[in-house]
Amino acid sequence: MDPAALIPAPDAISVPWGWFYVLLMLTFLLHILVMNAMLGGGIIALISAFRGGEQNTLLGKEFGYKWPYTIAFAVNMGVAPLLFVQVLYGQFIYSSSILMAVWWFSIFGLLILAYYGAYIYDFKFEALGNPRIFMLQFSVFILLFVGFLFSNNMTLMLQPEKWQAYFNNGGGTLLNLSDPSLYPRYLHFVVGSVAVAGLFLALVGHFRFTKSTVNREFLIDQGMTYFTYATAAQIIIGIWFLIALPKNVMMVFMGGSSYGTILLLLGIILGFAALYIGYKKRVVMASAITLVTLVAMVFMRDLVRIAYLEPYFQLSDLVVEPQYSPLIFFLVIFAIGLALIGYMLKLAFGCRKEVTK
Amino acid sequence: MNYPVWELTTFGGGFIIALVAIVHVLVSHFAVGGGLYLIMLEKKAYKDEDAGLLDYVKKHSKFFLLVSMVFGGLTGVGIWWTIALLNPAATSSLIHTFVFGWAAEWVFFVGEIVALFIYFYTFGKMDRKNHITVGWIYFICAWMSLFLINGIIGYMLTPGAWIENHNFWSGFFNPTFWPSLIFRTGISLTLCGVFGFITAAFLKDETLRQKIMRTCAAWVGIPFILMISGGWWYFKAIPEPAISIILEKSPAMADYLLLLAWVMPILFIASMIMAIRLPQGFQKVFSFVIVAIALVYFGAFEFVREGGRHPFVIYDHMYANQVYVKDVPEIQKAGFLPAAKWSKHNQVTDANLLETGRDLFKFQCSACHSVDGYLNDIKPLVAKYNNVFGMDSKLNGLGKLNQYMPHFMGTREERWALATYIVSDLNQINDLNMGNPVVETKDLPVTIPPFDKEKDEYVLLAWNNLGMHCISDSDPFWILLPPANDIYAQLVKRGDSPEIITEGVEISYQVQEGFEYPEKQVRFWEFADKLLGADLAPGVGVGGLKVSGVMKLEEDHRAFTAPFVPVVPYPADGSYNPYPIFTITAKEKDTGKVLMTTKTVAPTSTEMGCKNCHGGEWRVAGVAGFSDKTSLDVLEAHDKNSGTNLVERAKNGEPMLCQSCHADPVLGTKGDPELLNFPAAIHGWHANFLTDREGMQACVACHPSRPDGPTQCFRSHHSEFMDCTNCHGTMEDHSLTLLKKEHEAGKKGAARLMENLQPRAVETVAEINPRTPWINEPDCLTCHEEFGMGMTTDAFNTWTEGAKDLYRNRHDQMEAMMCEACHGSTHAVYPATLNKLGTNRDSIQPLQYQGNDRPIGNDCTVCHTVQPEFEAHHPNSLRL
Repeated sequence: MDPAALIPAPDAISVPWGWFYVLLMLTFLLHILVMNAMLGGGIIALISAFRGGEQNTLLGKEFGYKWPYTIAFAVNMGVAPLLFVQVLYGQFIYSSSILMAVWWFSIFGLLILAYYGAYIYDFKFEALGNPRIFMLQFSVFILLFVGFLFSNNMTLMLQPEKWQAYFNNGGGTLLNLSDPSLYPRYLHFVVGSVAVAGLFLALVGHFRFTKSTVNREFLIDQGMTYFTYATAAQIIIGIWFLIALPKNVMMVFMGGSSYGTILLLLGIILGFAALYIGYKKRVVMASAITLVTLVAMVFMRDLVRIAYLEPYFQLSDLVVEPQYSPLIFFLVIFAIGLALIGYMLKLAFGCRKEVTK
Repeated sequence: MNYPVWELTTFGGGFIIALVAIVHVLVSHFAVGGGLYLIMLEKKAYKDEDAGLLDYVKKHSKFFLLVSMVFGGLTGVGIWWTIALLNPAATSSLIHTFVFGWAAEWVFFVGEIVALFIYFYTFGKMDRKNHITVGWIYFICAWMSLFLINGIIGYMLTPGAWIENHNFWSGFFNPTFWPSLIFRTGISLTLCGVFGFITAAFLKDETLRQKIMRTCAAWVGIPFILMISGGWWYFKAIPEPAISIILEKSPAMADYLLLLAWVMPILFIASMIMAIRLPQGFQKVFSFVIVAIALVYFGAFEFVREGGRHPFVIYDHMYANQVYVKDVPEIQKAGFLPAAKWSKHNQVTDANLLETGRDLFKFQCSACHSVDGYLNDIKPLVAKYNNVFGMDSKLNGLGKLNQYMPHFMGTREERWALATYIVSDLNQINDLNMGNPVVETKDLPVTIPPFDKEKDEYVLLAWNNLGMHCISDSDPFWILLPPANDIYAQLVKRGDSPEIITEGVEISYQVQEGFEYPEKQVRFWEFADKLLGADLAPGVGVGGLKVSGVMKLEEDHRAFTAPFVPVVPYPADGSYNPYPIFTITAKEKDTGKVLMTTKTVAPTSTEMGCKNCHGGEWRVAGVAGFSDKTSLDVLEAHDKNSGTNLVERAKNGEPMLCQSCHADPVLGTKGDPELLNFPAAIHGWHANFLTDREGMQACVACHPSRPDGPTQCFRSHHSEFMDCTNCHGTMEDHSLTLLKKEHEAGKKGAARLMENLQPRAVETVAEINPRTPWINEPDCLTCHEEFGMGMTTDAFNTWTEGAKDLYRNRHDQMEAMMCEACHGSTHAVYPATLNKLGTNRDSIQPLQYQGNDRPIGNDCTVCHTVQPEFEAHHPNSLRL
């Protein structure tokens, strides 16, 4: 059977695809930033708990304060890119989700558990005592597992040639385990999250956003150390990921497309730069470089998707039935939303200063 | 059909979405109203400088954060997750149509989360006014998210002008937008009180606790008015036919509406009880009880709202099974499987029948029906179908008369495959004969009475006037025809000019041995008073006659008749015999001298195939008769579809005659003048389930005319080259003739039954000639022009003008002999050699009087002692 025959017909879009593409890239970047802080922070807190000692415990407590926020925003910032990816690639992601429906369906239940776990860890940090490590493990492993499921779906949606497995198993328990790129891809995200979370903790220290009595210097030092080691590992995992990709996809970054090749080179150069700056423990500079690297990575990730789907689909295939007023409505709401958030943050920081005084 | 389907079986049928959705909507509405509750209480605490109350507000805000943001937020994502898995096509459609609506809603979610975090974590640390402002921002963001989702959810039920113009705003501000918004805002505020009971109940300070309990009761009570008025307006704003589906047509809706009607006041009263000073232990437990009541209430409402969308997921745009309305005509023509990207096969073959049937079930049915599951389990719904034909017919009629389900979408072969899967796999029945065994022809002995052409002075002709009289022996439940066979006789005195004798003679009839006690075979007499309003002694028919007796003269016909002889097709040995023989004897009244004796069959059958679709088995000898199961199901279907209480009546020992409501010329019942006459109703209804059938396939499903069946009522030589449809039309055509007449008479029900019937013999309904049943019937002379040899076999759509023109009532042109006297009964006109019980059974008189099976008069000297020269009876009678 021709795999292309399985691909559902897409629905029409209301404005040219570029709008959705920009929104997808932007909101995915936001999601990945917060998600990294959430997942990587949990991993760092867990490692710190294993390492023990007063400062490590305080680091765990400090992250505990931040954890529920990161989960709330990781989920929330995930909504928008998932919305836009459904607009652009719905026919792929709906299909692959159904193939692994049981796993996919379990995600929001698992997240509720992880979320409440994080709140218990936060609210009952002292009361729980040492056994809090179980709570931490509970939520971290759930989040790691959820991430693994995401990696499965994000790769399965790109490979209609694998979808025929549905005819032997329609119960929604499929995964994409046979894909050699799945594992480096997943690791790339997990280890990357540790790097970003290290940076996040260092930033908390740097900008005095601490709530616990953790030593700021310790927080910055530890954060930057996690960042540096994880970034070093990322370079190796990234290469593994690259060579695990199918040849036609890999070649996009190896001369096949100058845009892709430049992005990869940029990524590598920035990676090494981040490594150096991280080693020097320059928090703000490292953050800036990381942000640019992440932007490059987000676009590279999208190039991988485009290359996988190239035999089947181009975004320009989508039929446009233009209606601009809803877009304008959204942009206005978006602006109002940003203003409101800015205003509320101003109030919040204002009161923080009052309290500090 | 565009997407794969998650095979859920047990948890299918909307179970998962119901579970996630009901929990989510409860919490998410709480998340909207709860913001206002916090602000109002916080303001009050500031105003009264009430530290206790302020402390409560802070505690409640933590509870609120954990319930609304964590659980509410994630179950909200969960709903999206769930619908994308269960109905990706609809999800995709909603996403693509309203993408910027969703995106705007997301902005408000972000605002909600930021505001709630700040509100909670700065409680007591922020300037009071600013803190309240943050609270207000939370509430506004939360309410705006309701505003946005309300537009999209409302669109699914009432897309309004969007269907035509596909404009975002037309869909968003749809006909139920505002009432639904008011209703939901009311619910949101009510729920703050409901959830407030929980946090209040755990307060240690007795005074404060009771005070907040009362506050919460007020928060339930006052918005209740908003909720009820919004809800009422909402119901009023739902257009037809959705509102009818909610209120009348959907079988499950009634339960949910009833639940809603009960739970709403219970919620109110339970909340008001909380305003009373009560012990804390009780308050703690009861606060959770109230949340549970609210959950049930919301669940019932959601079921009703979603139920109203039947059979669509997006009204008039997409069916619940993910098929776009616009795609249906092409699917009906080219088939479902070629269009279903994720089905294994793209056409039905003998080898893949079950597999394709299973796929069709998956793609067309499983969206709403689970298998062995908790919601809409398909198994009990199809359990009665013990044969593929019945199931196939049910699918044939799906969505036509009751619009809460879609039509079956696909070809005849695909429908058959689906029916085969349901019957063989789900019902585990594999009976190719559908419980209707092939019955071989027998040759039961018939003694032909003697006739001596030289000596005998009289010719006695006798017949049954219908050729077949059906009986529904479903007596304890209902009947449509009682045992009532009409026997006719004409006595001719032979001579140069033969004479019909009507005076001075007595003509008696006597049923054959074994059939003397019909009252021992059927339960008709137990229920005759209820069924017919006549108190009949056992064995006595509607006309006061028994199975043996004396015939009366009917002067108009110059014939003797025995009306409504209650013979049944069950001899005492427990077998089935639809052709009992009656002996007819003519005697001289004064002397008692026997003038002539003859015999005739009184064809009578209980082989009515209701059980083919209504379930159950044959009651007698495995070939005929109504089992209780079949009879009851017929009533259940009638009750369900027409809102009657026939099952209840039957169970109370008060079965009904169908024709007591549905007028019927043959029984002479007037019925309810609003309702369709009986033949129009029964044919018109069932025609929707029996369209496009070849030959007499549809007819034999119900009537005893199956060629390999035990009765085969059509037994004249005509049956060798014609079937029922040549004279009566196909099921659709036949029904349309009856319905059209009723429609013209202004009967309301006719249009609904006609809507999905396409005429087959003619192009349009306009060409159908309407008719009154039993009066306007096929006319022999349509084919047999001028009594000649038939040159066509198409007698449909030309009807006799009146009752007197019917073959069974008609006479020769001298108004002497009745047509049937010489030509035999309808459906068994001579030569009628195809009787299942023997070639001679329907030809006794031709054999007796002229030694062959031709019409009487084939040899004129049967009656005429001198060969006549003129065609006095009818043209061509002498074949000159």
